[in-house]
Parts: sequence; C-alpha cells; structure tokens
Amino acid sequence: MAGRVSLARRNLFQDRRRAVLAVSGVGASLVLVLVLNGIFAGAMRQVSAYMRNSPADVFVAQQDVRTMHMSQSALPPETVERVRDVEGVAWAEGLRYTNSIVDTGDSQRITYVFGYDVTTGRGGPRRLSAGQPPGEGEVLVDDVAADELGIDIGDTVTVMGAPFRVSGTSTDGTNIVNTTVYIHTEDFARLHSDSIAYVLVGAEPGVASDDLASLVAAALPETTVQTRAAFAREEANVVRDMAADVMKIMTVIGFLIALAVVGLTLFTATLAKLREYGVVKALGAGPSRLAMMVLAQAVWSVALGLGFAVVVAVALGGAIGALTPNVTVLIQPGSVLRTGTGALVVGGLAALLPLRRVLRVDPATAFRRSS
Amino acid sequence: MTAAPAIAVRQLSKTFGDGELAVHAVSNIDLDVATGEVVLVMGPSGSGKTTLLLMLGAMLRPTSGSVVVDGVDLATAPERRLPSLRATHLGFIFQDFNLLTALTALENVQLACNLAGTTGRAARDRATELLDRVGLAHRLGFRPDQLSGGEKQRVAIARALANNPTVLLADEPTANLDSGHGREIARLLRRLAEEDGRSIVMVSHDERLREVADRVLWLEDGAFRELAALATDPVCGMAVERDPAMHLQAEGQEWWFCSNACRADFAAHPDRYVDEKPAR
Repeated sequence: MAGRVSLARRNLFQDRRRAVLAVSGVGASLVLVLVLNGIFAGAMRQVSAYMRNSPADVFVAQQDVRTMHMSQSALPPETVERVRDVEGVAWAEGLRYTNSIVDTGDSQRITYVFGYDVTTGRGGPRRLSAGQPPGEGEVLVDDVAADELGIDIGDTVTVMGAPFRVSGTSTDGTNIVNTTVYIHTEDFARLHSDSIAYVLVGAEPGVASDDLASLVAAALPETTVQTRAAFAREEANVVRDMAADVMKIMTVIGFLIALAVVGLTLFTATLAKLREYGVVKALGAGPSRLAMMVLAQAVWSVALGLGFAVVVAVALGGAIGALTPNVTVLIQPGSVLRTGTGALVVGGLAALLPLRRVLRVDPATAFRRSS
Repeated sequence: MTAAPAIAVRQLSKTFGDGELAVHAVSNIDLDVATGEVVLVMGPSGSGKTTLLLMLGAMLRPTSGSVVVDGVDLATAPERRLPSLRATHLGFIFQDFNLLTALTALENVQLACNLAGTTGRAARDRATELLDRVGLAHRLGFRPDQLSGGEKQRVAIARALANNPTVLLADEPTANLDSGHGREIARLLRRLAEEDGRSIVMVSHDERLREVADRVLWLEDGAFRELAALATDPVCGMAVERDPAMHLQAEGQEWWFCSNACRADFAAHPDRYVDEKPAR
C-alpha cells in the first residue's frame, strides 16, 4: 500500500489510550507464549549441556539406549577396549553414570552422578568454577546447586549413600529438574558397579563423526552408537516429549488471549468508526480496500504487540535467570518467528468479525445525520 | 445538436416495501442536468430528496428507471462496479462534513485521491492544490477537530473534487453552518460550477442556496412540483401546494398552510404574520 494514506494506522493511534491497551494486551499474551517457549528451549539446552560440551565425537550406549535422562545404560567394562580397536578411533573412555540424590543433611536435590577418569578429564565437567577435580572420596558439585543448597568447598555431602568431601564446583550442570555431580570413577565402581554406562569416543584427525559412528556400530552391533549431535538431540527430545502437551496448551491459551484482545480491540475500534467506514465506502472504497484497512489495523496491533513482547520477554528472561539460576530462558529467533506467524494468524481471525460489520455497512449512512 | 446532459434521469422510481405497505419514495422522475448547471432540489422532510440523491450517487438501486452519468447507467451497472463509479465519476458533499477524524485535512483529500487511483506524491500534490483552491493552504496539517465548521465543509468540498468528478452531489451543504459560512460555501459551489463546468445537484432546505442555483426544483411526495404553483406558509415559511384544504382568506388575501396547526396559529393572530410573510 505504498503511497497511500494509512487510515488503519491513523485510526489505531487516534485514541492513544486504546492503542496502548491493545498493543500491551496483545504483547502480554505473546510474552506468555515467548517466555514459556524460552523456558522450554532453555531446559532443552540445559539438559543436553553435558553432551554438547563433551570432547567425545561419538557416544556408545547399551542397545536401544539413546538418552541419559529417563534411561539406564550398562555396558561390560571391556567394551572400552573393543572400541579402541576400531579403525578411526583416537581414544575411548568409559563413563559411569546413574541417578541419585545429593544430600547436605538439611536439604537435598536429585542429581546425575558421573564417575569419570580424572586423569584425562574427558568425562568430567566442561570447566570448574572453583576448587579442583575430585580425588577418591571427593565430589564436584555444580555451582548453581551449591548456592541453592548452601554447599561450600570442604563441606561433606552424601551421594549414593556415601559421604563425599566437596573438592570444587563445576558449571552448566543444573536445570529445573536436577543437578549434576562428578566423582572419581573408582568411587563409582565401588559404590555402584564396575560396569560402565557409556563409552566416550574420540575420532582420529580427518575422520568424520558420522563415519566413526558407523564404524563403531559395525564393530559392536550389540550397542547403540550415536554422534554427539544426535545424542544431544535425543536428550533434548525427551524434554520436548515430556513437556510438549503442556507447552501446546499454554501456547494455545496465550494465542487465545491474544485473539480475544485483538478481536475485542478491533471490534470496538471498528464499531466506533462504522460511520466513517460508511463514508469511505460512499467515497468509493470497494470491499477489498475496506478489508485491507481492517486487516492492516490487526497487523499493526499484532506487530507492535510482538515487538513489545520480545522486549519484555528478553528482559523477563534475564530477570528470571538472575533470580532462579537453574532456569534458563532462551528467546530464540525461531521462536519469535513462530510466535509472530501465529500472532498474525490470530490477528487475521480477530479481524473477521469487524470485517463482516464493515463490509455490511451501508454507504448511505454517510447521508444520515449524526446524533 | 445539443450537448448531452451530465446527468440524465428517466422515469426514476423507488418503492420501499410492497403490497399495502409499499412506500413510493420517488415516482417517475425525469431530470436533465446540463454541464456546469447548479440544480437545487428543495422540499419538505420525507419528500424523497435524500432517496433521489442516493440514487444519483449510486448508493441505492432504483426500482425502475435510469440514471445516466457520464454515459454510464448507474441503475443497471453491476453492484461490484458501483464503488469504482463513485470513486471516479461522482463527488459527495455531506451535511455533517463526514471528514475522517483520524486524518488531517490533507490526508482526508489524499485518501479520496487514493480511492480514485492517484497515489504517492501525485496524490499529495493534488490534495494540496485542491485545499489551496478552497482557501485552506494554511490548514493542511490540521485535524477536523481543529477546524471551524466552514473550514470542515471546504475540506469536504476539496475531497469531493479529488477525483475530478463531472457531478457533485451535495446533501444540505450549508445546514450546519452559520449564515456567513453558509453563503461562503454557496458561492464556492457556484464558482466550481462556473470555472470547472461541473454539474452540481444540491438537496437543501436552505433558501440562501437559491441565490447560486440555476434552477430550483420542488420535490414533494416523490415527484417534482411546479414551483410557480407553490405558496409560502406565512407561519413556518415552508413552500406549500395551493391545497384548498389548507386554505384561508384573511386580510383581503389568500393564504395557504402546511398543516392545520399553522392555519390555526395564523387564524388566531393574523396580524403577527401578515406584514412579515406576504403570500406569493
């Protein structure tokens, strides 16, 4: 509509209070959608952080085990040697893993427990925020959980029913559901079992991860072999599958609120201007021009509401992250695009009723005396 | 060979409802309006003036007859063509001005240019030129609520000219204006007819518009009456038919009235009216 007077925009902003209410109403409902999606995306990122940060190119698990969360993998210790013998493998290392509780005596939290070889550090955390890697009888606690549970270096906590001295703190291991602790692999074998859960595999230079995964899978057909990216994706999918229904419901609620706000605002704004639409019709506006006017008003409301929502959601995400460090709100461009598309559909639907009224208005109303 | 009229109306009728409830708002009207002619249609309320104007403006379908403007019969044109016919052939001036309140004077005129197919800089220039022509070059950025009644009607006239129409249809163009502004608007309309050769049909009760009209038609009960055959009610000033039922002889003269109430008022105090409203 370049070069044309934008009656829709001018009508929308003529009553600034109504415009602010409409935009903030739409924005508030879209904030709900964006923040929920952000929490969801953050949770998926958090839950797959260990895999994404691992130096391993390929993960080997028990047959049909494709995740860490909500699953249990057990492999014989000799699996590590068999993997090392596969062509293209630069290194292979066993990782022990289970679910447990980290207990301070006053409070506790569900945790992943990793038993790793501290001499290579390959199965350990991405980085330490304080202290040093665990020796025997020692544990690394994630810094967010340490803050939450009031744990300091040197304190004693109970993991897998045994006391451990806290040797340091690690990062990126706590999410909404649980946290992560790392212990010496020998402690793990002593307390749990000497079987391993996964084999971390590094590729020789020039060997692609997919090729390495195929080679290992061919050599060890009784296992499940995945690249790091595939393993992380599968882990994120567990969260997605678990939360998908809730997310869908909340997203639909958010969009329904947006629909109600845009619909109500447009309808009242249209009713208030019905006579003027009659005048425009009398002056020669056809149905398509009138439809564009009403739709443009909806698009303006939604576009401004979305802009407002993105700003608020980013700010809110930062505030949530600062107040509750175990929750990460990730406002991604893809999510904004999806929310925007959904909001535009909602805007289009909201315009239907006012549009019907406008198309039915008699141009002869322009000749009736206004009261 | 005479030039074709700008508007040619033949046997135009409009009936609302049917059977015993049928109301014949306009009955078999014939009317030719020449290029550059100003025609004033007067008549009592409910006489069919607005119905006639709506049919001339392609906003109401006649029951029968034809309305030819610029060679196009509005009565038989397809419904979907009517908006574009209004946007390109006709200009409208309303009693209530009907300016769009969210737009400035310039934008109100520009919008009409847009509807007629002119956009961008050309529309802006045209709107500016028209507002300048009606004496509002200094009010381009003003919204309707910042303009006086006379200024609003001048913006409305500029808007009506946006599509360079052959025909201007004006509904009570001076009704909401004081006498000074009313005369100003009347003269402006006359000027538009003379300078641009536009045909103007005005519907009004305003006697002041007689001064600028080339022709005055009296519409009553949906049909044109002979103006010469009409008298003026001495009480209310309305033009009335010389109906024997509403007649009175007093002060050595014949008097006609619009209603029994006016006749009774006059009969009670003829001295109040005789000097002011002589019978014609």
